[in-house]
Amino acid sequence: MTKHSLCRIALAVAALAGLAGPARADEPGLTPTTIRIGMFGPLSGASMAYGFDVMNAARMYYDKINKEGGIHGRKIEVVQEDDRCNANDVVAAVKKLVEQDGVFLLNGGSCSAPVVAAKDYVVRSGVPWVMLNASGDGALYPPQPNIYGAFSISQRAMGGSVVEFASKELKAKKIAYINHDDAYGAWNLEGARFQAKDNGVTLVPEAVSPSITDVTAPVLKMRASGADALVIATYARPAQLILKKAQELGFNKPIVIAVNAIANLKQLAENVGSKDAFRNVYIEEVLAAKPGSEKLAWIYDLYKANYPDLAGKPDHPQVYMPYGIPSAMTVVRALQAAGPNPTRAKVIEALDRTDFDSGVMAGPIVLTKTEHAAQKASTYFKFDGEGLTAVPGSFASRWTYQGQ
Amino acid sequence: MNTEIVFLFLQQGIASGLVTGSVYALLALALVIVFRTTDVANFAEGEFYMAAAYLAFFLIALVGLPIWAAAPAMVVGIAVAAGLFQRVVLRRVAAARGVSVNLVIATLGLSYVLKGFVRATGFGDTPRSFPSVVPDGSVTLGQASLSYLDLAILGAALAVMAAFFAVFNLTRTGRAMRAVGMNRRAAQLVGINLGRTERLVWIFAGGISAVAAILIAPKLLMTAEMGGVVTLAFAAAIVGGFASLPGAVVGGFIIGIAENLVGLFVSTRAINVAPFVIIMLVLIFKPQGLFGGRLRVRKV
Repeated sequence: MTKHSLCRIALAVAALAGLAGPARADEPGLTPTTIRIGMFGPLSGASMAYGFDVMNAARMYYDKINKEGGIHGRKIEVVQEDDRCNANDVVAAVKKLVEQDGVFLLNGGSCSAPVVAAKDYVVRSGVPWVMLNASGDGALYPPQPNIYGAFSISQRAMGGSVVEFASKELKAKKIAYINHDDAYGAWNLEGARFQAKDNGVTLVPEAVSPSITDVTAPVLKMRASGADALVIATYARPAQLILKKAQELGFNKPIVIAVNAIANLKQLAENVGSKDAFRNVYIEEVLAAKPGSEKLAWIYDLYKANYPDLAGKPDHPQVYMPYGIPSAMTVVRALQAAGPNPTRAKVIEALDRTDFDSGVMAGPIVLTKTEHAAQKASTYFKFDGEGLTAVPGSFASRWTYQGQ
Repeated sequence: MNTEIVFLFLQQGIASGLVTGSVYALLALALVIVFRTTDVANFAEGEFYMAAAYLAFFLIALVGLPIWAAAPAMVVGIAVAAGLFQRVVLRRVAAARGVSVNLVIATLGLSYVLKGFVRATGFGDTPRSFPSVVPDGSVTLGQASLSYLDLAILGAALAVMAAFFAVFNLTRTGRAMRAVGMNRRAAQLVGINLGRTERLVWIFAGGISAVAAILIAPKLLMTAEMGGVVTLAFAAAIVGGFASLPGAVVGGFIIGIAENLVGLFVSTRAINVAPFVIIMLVLIFKPQGLFGGRLRVRKV
C-alpha cells in the first residue's frame, strides 16, 4: 500500500467519522449518546404550584423515552434551573442553560408573564424554546422563529373558549366577564371579545386588580348588567372572593370559572365555604378528560412510579402536573423528525410542522410557521363543590393573530 | 344608569365599605398608637396581621383546637410576640443611638422574616381560609345585603375600638401612653416607665392586628402576601391625620367606602388607585389630615 493510498484511506475514515458522528461542533448539547435539554420553571417560591410538578411530568416523560431506547440512539439529558416565576430569574436561568450548560434546546417556563422577559435573548441566541405550560402570549404574538408555547392554552384562546362555552352551551346572549387589569387580563379579554363578536353575543367586561380586597363593586355591577352568565377569568384568590360575593349578593346565573383560577379545586370549595355558592358553577379545564380519569390514568401512574415520595404528600401531584406531558411530547416528536443528525434548524423546521393529538389536552397540538401557540380548546365540568360532571365536547377559540 | 341602580350601588357600596373599612380602621389604629407613642412607622404591621391569621389556621387545622380556643390563644400569642419584638429588637436598636430610621428598618426586616417563615411552612402560597364562627346567611338593610359574617366583623371591630379608646382615655396605662406620645422626657420625669409603656403599646398593637386577622381572614382568605392590605391602613392613617386615633378609624371607613363607590360609579380598575387619590387630596387641602388638628409651625 502506497503512502498516497494510506492518506486516502485516512481521509475517507475521517470523512465517514464526520458523517456518522452525531456530535457536530456547531450544535451544542449533542454528543453521540446524549441530547442535552435545558428545563426551567418554579422549583421554589410563591408560584411553585404552577410549575414544580409540570417539570416533573416532562422529566418523567423523557425518562420513559430514554427507557424505550432514546431518540435515534441518544438519551435525553435534562439540566434543570429554578426560575421562581420571576422575570429576572427566568432570564438568568435561560442564559445559564444556553451559555454555561450548552443545551441543545430549551423546554421550560410555567408562568406566562415572566417568561416573556427571556424572549429577546432566546431570539438572538437562536436556541429552539418549547415552553412548558406557560401561555406566554407576549412571547408568541407576533410569532418568533424559534419560540413555541401555550401547550396548555394561550390567554387569548382561553378567553375565546370560555365565551364559546357560555354562548353555545349555556345559551348566554349577554356575558359578564371579570378579568385582571394586567397584560394577562388584556390578552384573555382580546380573545373573549373576538369570540363574542363572532358569536353575536354581548360581552360586559370588568377589570380588577389581582390584589383586590373588596369585590363588591365588580360583582354588583355584573349583577346589575342583567348578564345571562358570569365568567371569572382572574387568579385563584380573587376568583374565590368573587364566587363568595356573587352568592352573598344573590347572583343566580351560571358562573364559569376559567382555568387560571383553578390551582386546587378542593381548596376552592373550602375557601368559598357555602355549598350554595356552587349551585350553578362550571369550571374550565384544558385536559382532554377529568384529572385522574381512565384516559389520563397512565400519566398519574407514571408519576407515582417515578416520584413515590412526592405522590405520598398532600396536594401532589399538583393540579397542573399533566400539562408538562404534551410539551415534552412535542420536543420528542420534533427531535425524532429531525433525524439522526439533528440541528437546531432541523428541529425548528420539524416543530413548524407539528400536528398531533396528545390524548392529554382538550384539543390537538398544532404548530405552523405562523402560529406558535399549540393548543386552543377547553373542556368544561359542572362543579358542585365536591364532584365534577363533564359537559360533552370541547370548545375552541377561533382568535388568530392578524399582525399589529 | 337609572335612579334605582344608583341607590342600590350607594347603599351596597356604603354597607360593604363599612365592613372592609372597619378592618382597615383596626389596622390603622394599631399603626397610629405605635407611631404616636414611639415615633416608629411599623412596616411589619401587615405581617403581624398575616402571621396572626396563619397562627389561628395552624392552631385550628394542625393542632385541632376549636376556634373559640384558638382565637384568644392566637391574640395573646401575637400580642406577646409584638411585645418581645419591642423588648429584644427595638430597644437594642434604639439603645445603639443610630438614626431613627433604623427602627423602621428593623420593622421592615421583621416583615420579611415573618413572610419567609410562613412561606417555609408550605402553607403560604395557596389561598386558604379557616371556618368562620358565624353561620351562613344574610340580612337585607334597605337594598343592601350583608352576611352575618359582615355584621360580626363590623360589630366586633367597633367593640375592639371602643374598648381600646376606653383603655386609652380612662385608665392609668392609657394616660401613660398618651403622655409618652406628647412628651417623652416630661413623661419620664413624672415617673412613667418608658420601656414598659412602649412595650405595652406594641402588645396592644399586636393584639389589635390579631383581632383584625381573626375577623377578616375567613372573608378575604389568607396568603403570605395578605399583609399588603396594610398599605390601605397607612392610607387610612394618613387621611385621618397620622397621630390621631379617631382619625385612623374614620380614615379606615372613608377608604373602605371610597373603594366601593369608585368601583361602582367610576371603574373597577380605579379601586386600587382610589385610596391614593384620597391621600393626595387630603395632603393638598388638609396636610395634617382630617383629624390632625391645626397646622403648627415650630421654631427651631
